[in-house]
Formats: sequence, C-alpha cells, structure tokens
Amino acid sequence: MATVTPDISVAPEAAPEKASAQRPYPGALVVVEGTDGSGKSTQLYLLKRWLEISGYRIHFTEWNSSPLVKSATRRGKQRRLLTAVTFSLLHAADFADRCERQILPLLHGGYLVLADRYIYTAFARDAARGCSPKWLRNLYSFAPVPDLTFYFRAPLDIAVNRIVAGRPKLKYYEAGMDLGISLDRQESFRMFQERILSNYDQMVETDHFVLMDGTLPVNRLQRQMRDLVRERINLEPFAPKRKKKKRHEAK
Amino acid sequence: MKRNNSNAGTDGRKASATPKSGNGAGSSDFASRFYGIPLPGVNIEELSGPLIVLEGSDGSGRSTQVTLLTEWLESEGFAVQTMGLRRSLLVAQDIDGLLEENAVTRMTLALMYGTDFYDQLERRILPAMQSGLVVLADRYIFTLIARAAVRGIGRDYLHGLYEMALRPNLTFWLNVRPEVAFDREFKKAHSISYWESGRDMSLSNDLFQSFIRYQSMIKREFEYLANRHGFIEVDGEGSVSEVNGTLRKQIAERLGIRNTHYRPSHALAHLWR
Repeated sequence: MATVTPDISVAPEAAPEKASAQRPYPGALVVVEGTDGSGKSTQLYLLKRWLEISGYRIHFTEWNSSPLVKSATRRGKQRRLLTAVTFSLLHAADFADRCERQILPLLHGGYLVLADRYIYTAFARDAARGCSPKWLRNLYSFAPVPDLTFYFRAPLDIAVNRIVAGRPKLKYYEAGMDLGISLDRQESFRMFQERILSNYDQMVETDHFVLMDGTLPVNRLQRQMRDLVRERINLEPFAPKRKKKKRHEAK
Repeated sequence: MKRNNSNAGTDGRKASATPKSGNGAGSSDFASRFYGIPLPGVNIEELSGPLIVLEGSDGSGRSTQVTLLTEWLESEGFAVQTMGLRRSLLVAQDIDGLLEENAVTRMTLALMYGTDFYDQLERRILPAMQSGLVVLADRYIFTLIARAAVRGIGRDYLHGLYEMALRPNLTFWLNVRPEVAFDREFKKAHSISYWESGRDMSLSNDLFQSFIRYQSMIKREFEYLANRHGFIEVDGEGSVSEVNGTLRKQIAERLGIRNTHYRPSHALAHLWR
C-alpha cells in the first residue's frame, strides 16, 4: 500500500472570498463538508429550516442522490463490483446529473442552493481510496465554485463514536473495506476516516473552507452558521418578494 | 494520410524524424502503457497481452471485422478477449436505460460511459492481459472522446478523464464517408438511430441531414485524434475481405504470425462479402 500522503490541495482555480458579484449567475451556493459524524447534515438541515420558514428561494441537494444513477450505485455496492476508479466515476456521474439538471439551472434562476456534501467529499474520500488528486480535480472541474464552504470538523474519536454508536453494522464501502487496510470493520472505518480527515484538513486553505468546531452544542453552532451566512452572502435577492402590499397600494 | 503541411521545399525528409507526436502508439515501451498516471494498484510489467483497437463510425464494418479477427486469431492459437461500449457488468444496463429517456444530459452520459469503460478495463481487460490474452476492442476511448467533444465538453477534460486508459498497441480507424455509413446503417436497421444521428444536438429536423452533419463532426474529431494518437487509417469502404486482409497483415506483423491466410468458417461465411 502506498504510504505517500496524496496532495489533495492541488491549487484550484482562483476562488475569491466574496465573489458572488463576479459569478455568471445571480444565485448563490452554500455547501457543508466534513467527515461522517461531524454534525454537518444536522447543521445544514437547521440552516435550511431557518431559510425556508422565512420564505427564501432555496433548493437543497444531497450527495449521491440522483435517481438516474442510483440503480448503478446500488448494484455496484451490493455486488461489490466497485473499484476506487469506478466508485469515483459513479459518484461524479451522480453529481453531474444534479449539477446539470438542478444546481446550475437553479443558480442561473436566482436560487440559493444548499448542498450537503460537494466535490470536496470526492477529493477527500476518493483520494483516500487511491485515486490521483489531479485526476479528481479535473473530473470535477465543471462544478461551480461555492460562495461559502463550511467545514465541520470533529476529532476522529468523537466522529467515529457518533457513527458506530448509532449503527448495528457498518456497510462494506462505508467502512472502506475495499481498501483492504483491516479485516475488522470498525478498525477499517476508523483508519479510512482518519485519511479522509487529513485530506479535508489539507483543503482548508486552498479551497477557502470556513472551519466549524463540530464539538460545540448544536444551537450555538447553528447561531454561528447563520451569522456567517448573513455576513458572507447577500440574502436580499432570495428573500420573499412583498408583492401583495404593492398591489393593495395600487388599488 | 496527407499530413505534410508544405514545409517549404523538400527538406521534410530530415525533419520528419523529429516530433511526430502520437507515434508511441505502436511502440511496445511498457513505461508508456498508460496515457498519464497508471490505474491504482496495477503492475504494468504483468500486462503481457497486446491491445488492438478498432475504431470507426456505425456502418464502418467494425464489429464484423472484430468477429472475423477473433476467429482468425483463435485459429492461430491466440486467446482473445473483446471489449466495447456498454458492455460492463456495472453500468451497461443503466446506460441503455438512460439512452431511452431524454432526461440525461451530456456530462452525466459522458461520465456513465467513462464508468462503463473503466469497469471493463479494470475487471475484465487487465486480468486478460495479465494472462497473455489478445484484447480486441470494438471501439475505445476515442469514440467516447469524439462524441463528448462535439457536444462541447473540453478535449483537455476528456483526455484527463481517460489518462488512466491503456495505450493500445495498434489502433485502426475504419474510415468511411458519412453517406456510405448512412446507406449501410439504413440497410441493416431500416431506420436511423436517435444517437447516431445526433438528434440530441438539434442539427436538423431532416434525419438524413442530421446524420450527415453529426457524423461529419465526429469525423473531424477523429482526424484530430488520428494525428495525435497515431491511428492506422484503413479505407472502410473496401470489401470485408479486403479490409480484413489489411488488418490481418498489420496484426500478424505485430504478433509474429507468419501465416496470414484466412478463410472464415462456415458459421461466419455470410460476413465475407
């Protein structure tokens, strides 16, 4: 097994801090990243609830959820047909489908798009499986650069315990059994997550992650997240329009 | 192929020794068996079998030739493994499904074909080559690159996607004019396929026009690829036996087969036109 740590942080195209004005679309893209058990999905759910209750134009999209690609992924996992490369390509096809049919049209249509996991998941996870970081960067080069990327980071033990406690048995690919690093699922999962965590850490600088402490209480973390969204994203265009009032005035 | 862009006079003889790119396709240099980085976990030295690729549009006679070459090689004592598009265990049926719907977009389709390709390569072709089988590919990455490129996906992107593909030892391009391909395809199926006429690209409402325009675009991509990757261009408009003779001669030379004489068995005699 290769012991050389892959350099995940291949310099991406310039990703300026506050770039929404320079983008070729009026929408905005906010993504959450982090290892399993880092709390990111809970936090994005709460952010989504906050925005949708207030009537904002938003769309939520999740990693590995395209119906077009689903049956292939399921078959590949059940029958253990997947290699590092085909695992990666199927997830890229899934992403491409969501990107071309949801994310890009909605960004052009002026939506605030929230993504639970994005291309950085592939960079961290597929590189941990042995794919070349450079190949991965090229594979996903068609993806729009997020306006804001939250990286929820929890120490390895905490994250692993959160997952292992809630699950009777870890799945084969989830545990990284295909890497052949350990015959024990929990041990394999832990080592796999450790690699992923280190890959994520390498991208904090190069991909402008906003680091979030996944060990903080849920509501405190959510407050931080909402403050940051308000601060970094101009929410005005996504706010509900007050048409009714105007109509009344006209009458 | 004419590719001597008038280099002022006739001193092209010396110059031609220099930078003919892509000619590595015929070399048996194992260090360059992959285009870019190697596939994870593959030991290049174990890949002894040769990889022979046949490219060409629908109606170029490609599949017929693969069938005949397989029989010839087997009669000469070589075991053959074939590959093609949409033949992977992993996603072939899913791509069939996608092609029937109109929901799929170009990048998704390109990546599903990529998955189909690498699944065959990693789980069927590499093991076959390690066992010394001759691999015959009925289409390869070049068709996939050409199809995606005419739909606006960048060539650099596509070459990056396929940089872990194996470099073929021989790549034949059965070149036919789009009009000839149209005649042959129509005779075979009595209709023209949605994808082979590029109808997703809205080129023309007239199916004949659409087919010709689409196949001409593909052909231009192939001309570029032929130069870059050192294809051996074969006139696909010749008879089946003529084309087969040309292919056998080249392959025999590569594999060290002395006897290039071949007559198809009774089972395949109907192909011998």
